[in-house]
Amino acid sequence: MSRAKRIMKEMEAVRDDPEANIDLEFVSEADIHHLKGSFLGPPETPYEGGKFIVDIEVPMEYPFKPPKMKFDTKVYHPNISSVTGAICLDILKNAWSPVITLKSALISLQALLQSPEPNDPQDAEVAQHYLRDRESFNKTAALWTKLYANGGDANSSKGNVDQADLYGIDQSLVTEFENQGFEKDKIIEVLRRLGLKSLDPNDNETANKILEELLK
Amino acid sequence: MANDEDYQYSSSDDDFPEQQYYEPLEHRDITNNILDDYEYLNYDTDSLESFNSDVDIVDGMAVSHVTNPNKKRSIEGAMVNLKYECFTTQDIFNNMLEKVDRLQPMFSIPREDIILLLQKYGWDEDRLLEDWTNKMDGLLIEAGIHINNEQKELPKSQRGISNRDFFTCPICCEDQIKETYSLECGHEYCISCYRHYIEDRLNKGNIITCMSCSLALKNTDIDELMNGPSSEKLMHSSIKSFVQKHNENYRWCPFTDCKCIVHIQDTTEFVEYIRLHYSPYVLCNESHRFCFSCSFEMHSPADCEITSSWIKKAKKESDNLNWVLSHTKECPKCSVNIEKNGGCNHMICSSCKYEFCWICNSDWKPHGSSFYQCTMYNNDELKTQTVIEDVSKTLKRYTFFYRMFNEHEVSAKLDWQLGQTVGNKIKSLQEKMGVSWIEGQFLTESLKILNEGRTALKWSFAVVFYSDSSHNLTKIFVDNQALLANSVEDLSALLQIKSPETIMEKKVEFYNKAGYVENRTYALMECGRELISKGIVKITN
Ligand SMILES: [Zn+2]
Ligand SMILES: [Zn+2]
Ligand SMILES: [Zn+2]
Ligand SMILES: [Zn+2]
Ligand SMILES: [Zn+2]
Ligand SMILES: [Zn+2]
Repeated sequence: MSRAKRIMKEMEAVRDDPEANIDLEFVSEADIHHLKGSFLGPPETPYEGGKFIVDIEVPMEYPFKPPKMKFDTKVYHPNISSVTGAICLDILKNAWSPVITLKSALISLQALLQSPEPNDPQDAEVAQHYLRDRESFNKTAALWTKLYANGGDANSSKGNVDQADLYGIDQSLVTEFENQGFEKDKIIEVLRRLGLKSLDPNDNETANKILEELLK
Repeated sequence: MANDEDYQYSSSDDDFPEQQYYEPLEHRDITNNILDDYEYLNYDTDSLESFNSDVDIVDGMAVSHVTNPNKKRSIEGAMVNLKYECFTTQDIFNNMLEKVDRLQPMFSIPREDIILLLQKYGWDEDRLLEDWTNKMDGLLIEAGIHINNEQKELPKSQRGISNRDFFTCPICCEDQIKETYSLECGHEYCISCYRHYIEDRLNKGNIITCMSCSLALKNTDIDELMNGPSSEKLMHSSIKSFVQKHNENYRWCPFTDCKCIVHIQDTTEFVEYIRLHYSPYVLCNESHRFCFSCSFEMHSPADCEITSSWIKKAKKESDNLNWVLSHTKECPKCSVNIEKNGGCNHMICSSCKYEFCWICNSDWKPHGSSFYQCTMYNNDELKTQTVIEDVSKTLKRYTFFYRMFNEHEVSAKLDWQLGQTVGNKIKSLQEKMGVSWIEGQFLTESLKILNEGRTALKWSFAVVFYSDSSHNLTKIFVDNQALLANSVEDLSALLQIKSPETIMEKKVEFYNKAGYVENRTYALMECGRELISKGIVKITN
């Protein structure tokens, strides 16, 4: 069966090139069509220092059909769902070619972290954050990298992370509505839904809109 | 439903009581009881006047409508002044080949290459010509016809199949491969992988390139590789994409297995047309009548809006629980099956390139630009729940109308089976009664009228579902509906008769009943038009 032969060849190629810092492993020896891949976050990006794990399912028709890939590691990125880890990348869909390997696909994912395409988003909330306020976006993405992609040490602090920080929302904005007697969770939910991270103090219209949503 | 075999009467059976020649249709009882079942309308049968058409409502068959001057106005009238042509993909492809022939002297490159260029330009001759005069060689590289400089650095290769001894294919990783294929670029793969690769792309209609670079396979290459006329399949899917892309002016006939494509050059006057007449119904070369606007069968008295809401609703009923679970989905535009890739909701149809959202099936564009445009985004379970609750609220009312609609759909299928026997009946009239073929055509005509009446009746239930039940015109519509239902069942029963003698005896009755159905159909359609134009129908989904 050519699919098995090809997968084994690909595993070999990954092992022979440790410099690429790409890992590829079977989830269980019994099933060579379910793998986990990983790579390092590209330097000088908010993903630097993180190790990103990708779930890979190799379909029956591989390599003529693309592998199904999604992030196991939570990533804050316009083309990756912050909830499910689903990836929006052309080579995993229409632009797939049988010459692409699991390794080259993982390298493409690494390149995707390097250069997001906010105009073809998978996660619209994140994409909007990216387009509106890059600095704040970078902060949030770096926080997620630290929290979720940094191996064991950061895990202990996960429970303590502030929900506002987690979504890059301005603390003072949350406090403002908390002072009006609204629940913090509700405020964050509404602000996320409206795609708001901060607010100009003179923008009464938006403030009213938030209030309206909070009262619903 | 009773099936045909139970009613195989020989011609010697004609001294049976008349009713026994009729199929005891179950739905007869239901349609006859329409008025009783309308608990949603405070319907008072006695107080109602029929809708004001110029047809007298006569119970029974006393009045002959055969000579009614208005006879032809109903269904044919629905297609008045609509100019259209009917093609197959082969016809359109042949037109494209004529284009290629016209362009060849100007381009002076092989016809195969012009086909590639046209394919790249979505068969748009004008755009191609414009770019051709500007770019020429650049265009030939872009379309994968000529090799580019980067590719020239690889060892040169012959285009075609090679025989090798111990080749290892980088795709399947098999060694000791004997037969390989490569284009001039030198990217060489085993022939079986190449075939697999091509097979997978034939139905996508795009130019098929080398697996590693942008050099294109010509139709002749594909046929050589596949050992047969496979490029035909590619051309047909390419034409399919073309038709899809120009969906303003082209429509596939929606009938199962029909290959017809109807083309309307100018659709700008549709709004006015629909206001004056019915929806823009067209007739394909296989005699399928359908609506050019919404690609549904003829759906009067419902308009396109009612029709699509109704269909959506019916779909939602059955799909509610399945849609989140499934992994493949039909493209909402061209119905090609697309598989989901690992949870990405941004779906791109491989055939027509339509981009849509997995969750809500609608256009992807608004999803991309602002947050939570998709009503179901991140909220799948919650949304399903509310959908189900909504549905159950209106379920009781809806179920009633849907049952009626469905009943007539089933009956229409039975009528269609009945139609299969009409030809035989005419034949036996000829053989046993010496009736001429022309004279026997009243049977065919009656069947056609029956079908049209049945269809109108079916769709009228969608109209009533969305109508304001307290309005008097709705009540009149329902009255008309009941009259049509009765007349349709009468005619249907008449068409069940097998004995040629009885058929001929009842010839006048055929004329009368068919004429009556025709008039009732027209009256119901007109009443529906009035109902819609007066805003009594409200779509609430
Ligand atoms: Zn191979
Ligand atoms: Zn090549
Ligand atoms: Zn047709
Ligand atoms: Zn329509
Ligand atoms: Zn499509
Ligand atoms: Zn959506």
